[in-house]
Amino acid sequence: MNPLQHFLRFFLLPGLCIISTICRAQDFDSTLTKYWGYNTALTMPAHKWESGIAQPFRYGINEKLELRSNALEIPFLPNAGLKVALKKNGGNFIATEHLIGYPTVFLNTVSMKGTGGLISPEFAPFPTIVSLQNNVLVSRAAGSRGLMTLSLGYTFAIRSGKPDPNATIDLPLVYPRMAHYYEASTIRLGFGYKGIISKKFLFDDGVESFFVIRHENNFFFENTGAIMWIARGSFRIRGGYSLSYGKYPYGTQWQLWPSLDIIFGSKL
Amino acid sequence: MFYHVMRFSDRNSWLHLPVVAICFLALQSCEMPATSFENVEEAVYYTRSTKADAPLPDSSVRIMTWNIRFGIGRGPWFGDACGYRVVYTREEILSNLEVIANRINAVKPDVLLLQEVDLLSKRSSYVDELQWLLDHTYFNYAAYGSQWKSQFIPSDGLGRMNEGNAILSRWPISEAQRIQLVLRTDQDALERYFYERCCIVKSRIDIPGFNPFYALNIHASAFATDDSKHQHIEQFKSELDKIASSGGRFVAGGDLNTLPPGSDSTDYCIEDMCAGESFHHTTDNPMHKEGSNYTPEAQWMTPLYQSYVCAVPLSAYQASQSSFFTHTTRPEHTWDRTIDYLFTNRRWRNGSTITHQNFLNDSDHAPVSSEFILK
Repeated sequence: MNPLQHFLRFFLLPGLCIISTICRAQDFDSTLTKYWGYNTALTMPAHKWESGIAQPFRYGINEKLELRSNALEIPFLPNAGLKVALKKNGGNFIATEHLIGYPTVFLNTVSMKGTGGLISPEFAPFPTIVSLQNNVLVSRAAGSRGLMTLSLGYTFAIRSGKPDPNATIDLPLVYPRMAHYYEASTIRLGFGYKGIISKKFLFDDGVESFFVIRHENNFFFENTGAIMWIARGSFRIRGGYSLSYGKYPYGTQWQLWPSLDIIFGSKL
Repeated sequence: MFYHVMRFSDRNSWLHLPVVAICFLALQSCEMPATSFENVEEAVYYTRSTKADAPLPDSSVRIMTWNIRFGIGRGPWFGDACGYRVVYTREEILSNLEVIANRINAVKPDVLLLQEVDLLSKRSSYVDELQWLLDHTYFNYAAYGSQWKSQFIPSDGLGRMNEGNAILSRWPISEAQRIQLVLRTDQDALERYFYERCCIVKSRIDIPGFNPFYALNIHASAFATDDSKHQHIEQFKSELDKIASSGGRFVAGGDLNTLPPGSDSTDYCIEDMCAGESFHHTTDNPMHKEGSNYTPEAQWMTPLYQSYVCAVPLSAYQASQSSFFTHTTRPEHTWDRTIDYLFTNRRWRNGSTITHQNFLNDSDHAPVSSEFILK
């Protein structure tokens, strides 16, 4: 099955079905924009911040610019990103996102003997790799209590050399996000829907496809779902699942993993 | 409850399908980080892609056991040869498998007991070695039991692993079982979770015109410092006893990782020592290298020799030990110990046993073959 067929099978048709069932845009409950702007075209309000353990730190420089970085990853995977809001019009939002990362330190760190050795030490040291990702995000209110987001991204790397193709971490969720470190580039296409269940609970469900531009091990698909509990103030707990499918070096695999995160930030 | 589900379905039909699909996939996709096994479970059956001729034997069949070291020849693997390599390239693996297949095609065993066969493992570039060997030899059937299976081992870059024992046969295989051996107790919980789970693979071989017999293939622990290796050998004998006591006949063998009784040398710590290691001094901890000191195991094989017929009789071994050595850990050295065996409760043809010591560069084990008399 070629990437286009994968795209039709896993993304386009289900996406169109979902979109077609959601009613037209209208003003919506601000709970969503306040508590769950991550992975949407919404930016953080000016001078506000939030962070999670897994979710990156996000800071609103002004109403149009958001800075982000995963603080926990910085010592071994320095990374930063900027989201630029291009359009805010009623229930419609358009933004671009630009992310940069330097995974070489991480790759060298986990290329080790003994426990924690995710990559064989025979492949270290890794060349200098700079990972770049650019996304376009379009969000649109879906009814008064929902927000849908379409994202399109292009991920590539600038390298001082080509890492050994056997030096990969062949795990669902990890492998597709690292594929471009080694060769090729990746097109990412996603659709997500966030909604309000009640005053204290929100939900999210989304799909994302990874098309790695190469001849093999080139397609990955993820479906993620989560419920967020607004525990107190800006403190939230998010729990859910990640279901992934992919064409890995050892064959195709479905995998279901749980997900959990704690999110906190400035007063909203 | 059902009523609520139905109502939900009626009002949100577009949501219902994804929920059902996710539940269905969740049930199918719960691959755990490491796989554990039942005490006895069905082995995995393999067949050759295109069936080969299986000529009927006159009165005997050749049985061979070989630990093929997952197709890396005498490479400097980090785990057992003071080496530094962990992952071998597909080209290296296929090249070594080609050599192994050529050896098998030359010896022409009718039933083959293989240890350390990798299926889709990171270290062997995800080659399905069993299917490859079936398709490049003349065997039509195989039964496989994993002894080290993990979706991802987060240590030394090992990653995905599926290594095990296989029984290959020209003729149909049935009643194939994977029999769990006791787990090591000398490891911490994390290491034990991701570590090997040694096993016996047992299957029935049906040759048209002859009574069926059982083939058993064991790979006992190599590095246990507790009593588990001894228990593996006892469990192996117990399985053989069950067949013998019910009137059945068997050929059994594999890599038992221990020496025959009466071996002149029983401590290989110095021979197996890697750079920077030290053993046998009062300040050394451990005093002995894991898997290299067989001294406490001197009599562990005695019950097997007393109950069953070894392809290499103990008297022959003791008269000329080096002629029957089957293993060495050192890539540049020749065979220096015997740890691979073939047993039966019937008869081997006199003079038919060969320890294939000329296969020195193909694995860190030499295969042993012998003719099993069918009538």
